[in-house]
Amino acid sequence: MRNVTLVVSAALFALAVGYWISADSISESRLAGAVGADGFPKVLGVALGVLSLILAGQTLFESYIVPARDKAPVQEEAQDASSAWRGHLRAFGLIAIGIAYVLLLPYLGYMVAGGLMLGAVATYAGLRPSLATLLFAVCGGLCFYLIFVKLLQIPLPAGFWPGLVN
Amino acid sequence: MDGISYALTAVTTPSVLLAAAGGVLWGILGGALPGLSPSIAMALLLPFTFDMTPLAAIVMLTGIYIGAEYGGSIPAILIRTPGTNAAAATVIDGYAMHQQGRGGEALGLSLVAGTIAGLVGLICLVLLTAPLSALALYFTPPAYFALAIMGLSVIAALSEGSLVKGLIMGIIGLMISTIGTDPLSGVTRFTFGGAELLGGIEYIFVMLGVFAVAELMSKMAEGDDEEGITKSVARVKLPGVKKLWALRGALGIGTGVGIIEGPIPGAGGTVAAFLSYNEAKRWSKTPEQFGHGAEEGVVAPEAANNAVTSSALIPTLTFGIPGSNSMAVLLGGLLIHGIQPGPMLLSTRPDLVYGLFGGLFLSNMFMLIFGLLLLGPAVWLVNRPKPYLTASIFMIVLSGVYSINQSLFDFWVVLLSGVLGYGMKLLKFPVLPLILGVVLGYMIEANYRRSLLLTNGEHRVFFENPLSLGLLLCAGLIIGLAVVSEIRRLRHGRRATQE
Repeated sequence: MRNVTLVVSAALFALAVGYWISADSISESRLAGAVGADGFPKVLGVALGVLSLILAGQTLFESYIVPARDKAPVQEEAQDASSAWRGHLRAFGLIAIGIAYVLLLPYLGYMVAGGLMLGAVATYAGLRPSLATLLFAVCGGLCFYLIFVKLLQIPLPAGFWPGLVN
Repeated sequence: MDGISYALTAVTTPSVLLAAAGGVLWGILGGALPGLSPSIAMALLLPFTFDMTPLAAIVMLTGIYIGAEYGGSIPAILIRTPGTNAAAATVIDGYAMHQQGRGGEALGLSLVAGTIAGLVGLICLVLLTAPLSALALYFTPPAYFALAIMGLSVIAALSEGSLVKGLIMGIIGLMISTIGTDPLSGVTRFTFGGAELLGGIEYIFVMLGVFAVAELMSKMAEGDDEEGITKSVARVKLPGVKKLWALRGALGIGTGVGIIEGPIPGAGGTVAAFLSYNEAKRWSKTPEQFGHGAEEGVVAPEAANNAVTSSALIPTLTFGIPGSNSMAVLLGGLLIHGIQPGPMLLSTRPDLVYGLFGGLFLSNMFMLIFGLLLLGPAVWLVNRPKPYLTASIFMIVLSGVYSINQSLFDFWVVLLSGVLGYGMKLLKFPVLPLILGVVLGYMIEANYRRSLLLTNGEHRVFFENPLSLGLLLCAGLIIGLAVVSEIRRLRHGRRATQE
């Protein structure tokens, strides 16, 4: 965990530097007043840089005062890491389904894309592909369509379906 | 006496009764849907008020506001997704209570605390309309800046044991708030040439990402292993008088902060909820329980955001200054019906003002009734099989996202914020400082620069203005106490290691 924190500190420091450089390139305006549009972002960049260094220092200091004997056996640690990575991959699978939904939404429309997403997430979360899952996806898509599009009047994408009718 | 008569006439008028009931019911449902803010819920029903009497229309709009502020706490407690911005502080202990199988208890506390605070806020609205309005006039840019700094100082107490990590997340939140068009000069910043970022990143998307999407990702990572999460069905449990008496401190703090924050334009329920949470923690006899399912951690923010619903009306009615989006919609509703809010409103239309007070009382009562009726189904719903629930929550979140700007770009912001929130959770970085930074960033920068513009760059203005000075001193005190507590924690940790 400490090594990870050190890597994160370094990444945050890089972010601070990048942010400061981007702030420095903000164009000046006569309307900006005593502090320009770049003033506040530059202060934030410096503050993040300093804090990331403090975090790194704090982590190194803590690793100095906590003895190494507290560490778990290497094999056990490797097993934990492997199962954790599997968990993270599962978590990012949900984001992948979300991305697919966003990409399909303009073409398939809210009801169909929504139904597909409901079915995909439910299956991915552990439901077996069955008639119940299919019913959940179809009824769910219809239900959400009725609530958001018909009741709340939110103009969610209709997809290519209206074009087929016309 | 005329005022009481107007209020009594209003509460016994069928159209006002129906408007209050319908408004609260819609508000609770709207508030419970993440992405549908109270202002959007109000705006959606605004066209339906055209044919109503002015009083019924205004009562319905305020009823929606009251209902939505409570409704926001339902998903906050049950699915770790704040339905409204002001419910973000309720997530911390409300969701922790739910994980301990006390979700129904948390909902009951939220409902009762919200109703009590709403009624106390109403009494204050009736009694203090004129004096509190005068206070709002003293809020100049330096005072707003100081107020936002005080709000930000809460980060120190919300850092969950690592002040540095909390500060880093606060800074990243402030960085996100700088994306878009500069509030003073109109120069674009960090937009990378994209038109979608010109208006900045709305904090509701960041909240939905770091709270809801990140939580769903965590659930997915856990797989079928539900160890640590209760499998018992949560039951609705209203707090008794004894319990409420024990929680009187948090209730008083929440109500007080909400009443004071409400009339201040820009502050609103979100700042009030976070400030009251922090104060409740600071004055609590068991501050270590905060973050782990403390009842006070639910009562204080819920009391604060419901007290705001009454006190926020003060500047809107007496000066015609809407302090929040919801109040702007209400102002629109008043103007549609030919009512001009301002200092003369009370003398020209006492029937409307006192009638509204009566309507607010009704709305708070309806909130209690509908809250009780809807709690059962809400708790039942959350106990459905995990895959159904996960899919439905993800769908609600993504549907709510589109409803705000009708932009596909917002989906990417939410998904990216979800990944950020998941990463923060893994690395034990606190989420709330990030939210506070995003929420308060604009207020801090805009008022800081406005103040310096007025004084030709003199920073003395922040210390010469008594209100600003007082608020900055309060902020300093909050930070100082947190730093002392952090040093104590480090020393204690070192001693424990040596032993």
